[in-house]
Amino acid sequence: MRRVLLAFGVLLMLTVTGCGGSSKSASSTSSSTTKVQPANITIWTPFVDPELITFKKVVKDFETKNPGIHVKVIGGTNDDKIVAAIRGGNAPDVAQSFTSDNTGVFCPSGAWIDLGSYMQKDGVKDSIFPAAPRDYSKFEGKRCALPMLADAYGLYYNKTLLAKAGYKSPPKTISELTAMAKRLTQRDSSGKLKVVGFNPFPSWYENVPAHFGPSWGANWVDGGGNSNLNTPAWADQLRWQKSLIDWYGYDNLVRFNAGAGDEFSASNAFETGKVAMHMDGEWRVAFLKREHPELKYGTAPFPVADDKADLYGAGYTTGSIIGIPKTSKHKDQAWLLVKYLGTNPTALAELSNGIQNVPTTSASLKSPVLKPLPGFQTFLDVFGNKNTTTTPITRIGAANQETFQSFIAKYLSGSKKDLEGGLKNTDEQIDAMEKQAEAGQAP
Amino acid sequence: MSAAAAEATRPVDRSRAKSRAAWRRRGIVLAFMSPWLVGFSVFFGYPLVMSAYLSFTHYDLLSPPRWVGLDNYRFMFGTDQQVWPAVKNTLWFIAIAVPLQVLFALGIAIMLSRARRGVGVFRTVFYLPALAPPVAATLGFVYLLNPATGPVNTILGKLGIQGPLWFDSPEWSKPSLTLLAIWGVGNTMIIFLAAVIDVPKHLYESAELDGAGIFSRLRFVTLPTISPVILFAVVIGVIEGLQYFTQAYVAANVAGGSATYSAEQANKLGYPEDSTLFYPVLLYQQGFRYFNMGYASAMAMLLLAVSFAVTFLIVRHSRRFVHYQGAAR
Amino acid sequence: MSTSTQAAPVAAPLVRRRPPAAVRRRRFLIAVANHSLLIATAVIFIAPFIFIVLTSLMTSQQALSPKLWPDPFAWHNFTDVFSKAPMWRYAFNTLLYAGLGTLGLLVSSIPVAYALARLRWRGANVVFLITLIAMMLPPQVTIVPVYVLWAKLHLVGTIWPLVFPNWLGDAFSIFLLRQFFLTIPEEYLDAARVDGCGELRILTTVVCRLAKPAIAAVALFSFLFCFNDFFGPLLYTGENSSHWTLSVGLSQFRSLYQVQWNLTMAATLIVMAPVILLFFLAQRAFVEGVTLTGVKG
Repeated sequence: MRRVLLAFGVLLMLTVTGCGGSSKSASSTSSSTTKVQPANITIWTPFVDPELITFKKVVKDFETKNPGIHVKVIGGTNDDKIVAAIRGGNAPDVAQSFTSDNTGVFCPSGAWIDLGSYMQKDGVKDSIFPAAPRDYSKFEGKRCALPMLADAYGLYYNKTLLAKAGYKSPPKTISELTAMAKRLTQRDSSGKLKVVGFNPFPSWYENVPAHFGPSWGANWVDGGGNSNLNTPAWADQLRWQKSLIDWYGYDNLVRFNAGAGDEFSASNAFETGKVAMHMDGEWRVAFLKREHPELKYGTAPFPVADDKADLYGAGYTTGSIIGIPKTSKHKDQAWLLVKYLGTNPTALAELSNGIQNVPTTSASLKSPVLKPLPGFQTFLDVFGNKNTTTTPITRIGAANQETFQSFIAKYLSGSKKDLEGGLKNTDEQIDAMEKQAEAGQAP
Repeated sequence: MSAAAAEATRPVDRSRAKSRAAWRRRGIVLAFMSPWLVGFSVFFGYPLVMSAYLSFTHYDLLSPPRWVGLDNYRFMFGTDQQVWPAVKNTLWFIAIAVPLQVLFALGIAIMLSRARRGVGVFRTVFYLPALAPPVAATLGFVYLLNPATGPVNTILGKLGIQGPLWFDSPEWSKPSLTLLAIWGVGNTMIIFLAAVIDVPKHLYESAELDGAGIFSRLRFVTLPTISPVILFAVVIGVIEGLQYFTQAYVAANVAGGSATYSAEQANKLGYPEDSTLFYPVLLYQQGFRYFNMGYASAMAMLLLAVSFAVTFLIVRHSRRFVHYQGAAR
Repeated sequence: MSTSTQAAPVAAPLVRRRPPAAVRRRRFLIAVANHSLLIATAVIFIAPFIFIVLTSLMTSQQALSPKLWPDPFAWHNFTDVFSKAPMWRYAFNTLLYAGLGTLGLLVSSIPVAYALARLRWRGANVVFLITLIAMMLPPQVTIVPVYVLWAKLHLVGTIWPLVFPNWLGDAFSIFLLRQFFLTIPEEYLDAARVDGCGELRILTTVVCRLAKPAIAAVALFSFLFCFNDFFGPLLYTGENSSHWTLSVGLSQFRSLYQVQWNLTMAATLIVMAPVILLFFLAQRAFVEGVTLTGVKG
C-alpha cells in the first residue's frame, strides 16, 4: 500500500514539475542561449498589414529557432494601449513601441523591467548599438528596452515636378528650399492651392518640431536637463516656418490639408503629386513602391539652415523600442524574443527589407541580407551621420513635444505673436510638468 | 391566570409581534435597497472620498500614490496653461450652446404644435437626429463641414460664399459643435411639445378675449405655463455641458488629421489650438493618457465644486421665472 | 303686421358647399406660409442624413472631391466596411454590454425605486435626495478611483466595468421609476397586502404590470445609452480592440484603417441603422418614454 502511495506521489511530483508552462520559472535559467521552459507568450506591436506580415514571418523564424516557445502576435497597438495595459495588469510579455518617447515613463517606474542582468548573462553589450538608438532606449543609465528598427528623416522630392520647373537637384539649404517651394507651387483659377511646393503647415503629416530642429542645430534641453527651447536656433526655425506659411496663406493651407488624403493611404499628398517636396521618414520608399511605383522621386538629406551648412547630411532619428512589461509571467522566454528581435543581425535585416526601416545594430547595418530599395540609402547615411540627433528622453514621455507643438500651432496661426516669450513660457510649462512627475519622491 | 394578568400579557405579546413585524419590514427595505446601497458605496461614496485623497498625491498606477500636499492644486492654479482654456471652453458651451439648444427645441415644438398636417412626419424628422449615436453624428458633421470637400462649403461656394474653416478653425470649431448639438435636440423638443400641448385651452381663450395677439399669447400664456419644463431642460443641458466629452474628442481627433506613423496616437485633443479642449477632455488627457491621476483627481474636485455651484445657482434663480401650476411640488 | 295665413317659413337645410376656388387657394397658401418655416427647418434637419447617405455611395476619389452626387453608385462600400473592420464583433460587444446592462439595471432599479416610493421608512427622502445629486454629477468626478479599482481587479480591457455598475442601480432610472410608482394608487397595493401578498409579490405582480410603460421607457433609454456610450467603452476597452463597442470602433475607423470618407460614412450609417430601426419599431414607446421623462422630471 505504501509503495503504491509513494509511486503515486512521485508520479504526481513529476507531472507537476513537468508542466512548467505557466509556472513561475523566473529563476530557473542558467546561462546564455538558455534552455527555458516551453511557454506561450504574447507580443504587442503597432505594425498593421502589410508590415505586420513581415513582422510575423520574422517571429516565426524565432519560433523555429526556439522550439517550445509559441508567440502570439497582436498588431495595431500603440503606446496609449500598452501604457494602459501595464497599469491594468493585462500587459503582454513583450511590447513594442513605435517611439522612444515613453522610455522615460517605462524605465524609472519599472513598468518595463531592467534588462541589465539579462544582457550581462547573455553577453549582449550596449556598444552594438549606434549612438542615437543606444541613448533613446535608456533612461538615467538604466536600460529597460532594446532599440528595434529606427526611423530616419529626410527630404523626398518629385523629380518630374522639379524638372518641369527647371530644377535638376534637390535643395541643400533652407533658402533654396523656400525659393524652389514658391516656384513649384501651382494655384487654380480661384486661387486655391493645387500643387504645394513644400507644405510648412505644423503637425501636418510629419511636420513636427522634432524633425525640423536638427536642420537648425536646435536642442531641446540644456546641459542641466532643463527644457531649453528659448534659443536662437528654434526662433529661426519657427520664423522661417511662419514666413512660408504666411506666403501661402494660413487658411489656404488649411483648405488644402482638408482635401489632402490620409498620410498612410494611397491618396497621400506627396504620392499623388500634390506636394512637390516633403519631409518624411524612410518607410515612405516602401509605401511608394507598393502604392505608386510610377512616381519618379528622389531622396536626400533635409536642407539645413543657411548658417549651419556643415550640418548637411544629418537629420533626425528615433525608433521603435521593445521591452518586457513587469507583469509578464514568462520573462525568460520574453527576453529571448527581445534579444532575437533587437540584436540578431539577420532578423533585423529581414525586418528592414520588408518594412524598410533602418536596422539598429552596427552588425545588421553591414549584413549581407540587407537589400535596401533605391532611395533608401539616403536614410542609412542620415542614420549614420555623426550630427544626427534624437529627442531627449524625459519622464513625461511625449508631453514635452506635445506642449511645444501646441504653442507652435498658436504662433504659426498668428494667435500668439510673442515668439521668445512663448518659447520661454513653454520651457517653464515643460519644466513644471517634469517637476510634477518627480513630485513626492524621496531624493 | 386572573383576567388582569391575562390582560397584562397581551400588550407585551402585541408589542413583541409589532417589533417582529418592524424587523421584517426593515429586512424587506434592506433587501430592496441593497443594490443601491452597494452601488452607492462602491461607485459613488468611496470614489468621491478617494478622489479627494488622490488629489493630494502623485499617482500613476505604476507605483503607490506619493503624498504631495497642495502641489497639484498649485500646478492647476499656477502653472498649467491648459486648465483655464478648458474651463473657459466648458463655460462657453454652457453659456451659449445650451441656451441655443433650448431655444431651438422650444421653437420647433411651438411650430409643431401649430401645424395641422403631417405632424407625425415632422416629428420623426426632428427626432431622428437625436437618435444618431454621438460618434456617428460627429463623424457625419466633420465630413459635412470639411472646409475643402464637404457638401456645406461646396454649396456655399456655388452661392458665391467662401465657407469658413469650421472644425479646422479655432473660431468656428465650437460653433460647429454647437450646430451638431442643435441638430440633436429631438429629445428636448418632444418634451416641450408635450408640455405646450398640455397648456390649458382656457388660458388662451381668456387671453384672446383680452385682445392678446399671437406673440403676446406666447409670452404671457405659453412660456410661463411651461416654465418648469424649460427649467428642467436647462438644468439637463447644463449637466450635459459639464460632461461634454464624446463629440469634442471625436471631432478633434478626426478633424485634426490622421495619426502619424511614429507616434500613433499623436495628441490632437483640443484641435485646433485648444479650442475644443473642454474640461472633461483635459481631465481625460491628464488622467488616462498621461496617467497623472493625482492631478486628474484634483481636476475632478474642481469639477465637483463647479457642478454644485452652477446647478445651485440655476435652481435658485429659477424661482424668479418659474411658475408652478397647482400644488404637486 | 300681417294676418295672412302663410305657412311658417322652413329653415333652409344646412348644406356644406365647397368654398370657392379662390378662398380655397388662399387658405392653402396661408397653410403653406404657416408651415414654411417648419418645412425649411425640417429640410435643414434631414439634409445631413441625405449627404451622409450620398457620400456612403461614392467612390473614395469622389468623396474627396466637391462632387455632390455619386456616380457610379458604389453599393459595395457597405460590404467593404465589414471586411475592413470587424463590425460584427463590435456589434456583438455592444449588444452584450447593452443587453446585460439593461437587464441588470431593471432588476436592480425597480426594487430600489419601489422602496423609495411606496415603502415607508425613515431615510427614504434622504436617499432620494442623494440620488438626485448623483444624477447631477458628471461621471468624470468619480472616474479616476473607479478606474483604479477596476485596474486592480485586472478587468480593464473588458466590458465588465461597464456592465457591473448597472447591476447596482442607476440614479436616473431610479428617479424615473420612483416618480412613476408614486402615481400608482395606494389602494391597489393595500388590497394586495390585505390578500397576504409579501412586498416582493406585490412588486412583481401588481406594480410591474401597472408600470409597464415606465419600465419599457427605462429599458429603452438604458439600451440606447449603452449603445451610444463612448466615454466608458473608450476608457475600459480602448486598449483591447477585440472588446471594442461600435462607438469606439467607429471612432477609430478612420485612423486605424486609413480609409476614405466614403467608407467612413458607410460605417456611420451602419452604426446608426439599428437605433433608427428600433425607433420605427417602437415609436410609441419612445415618444411616451421621452414625454414621461419631461413630465415627471
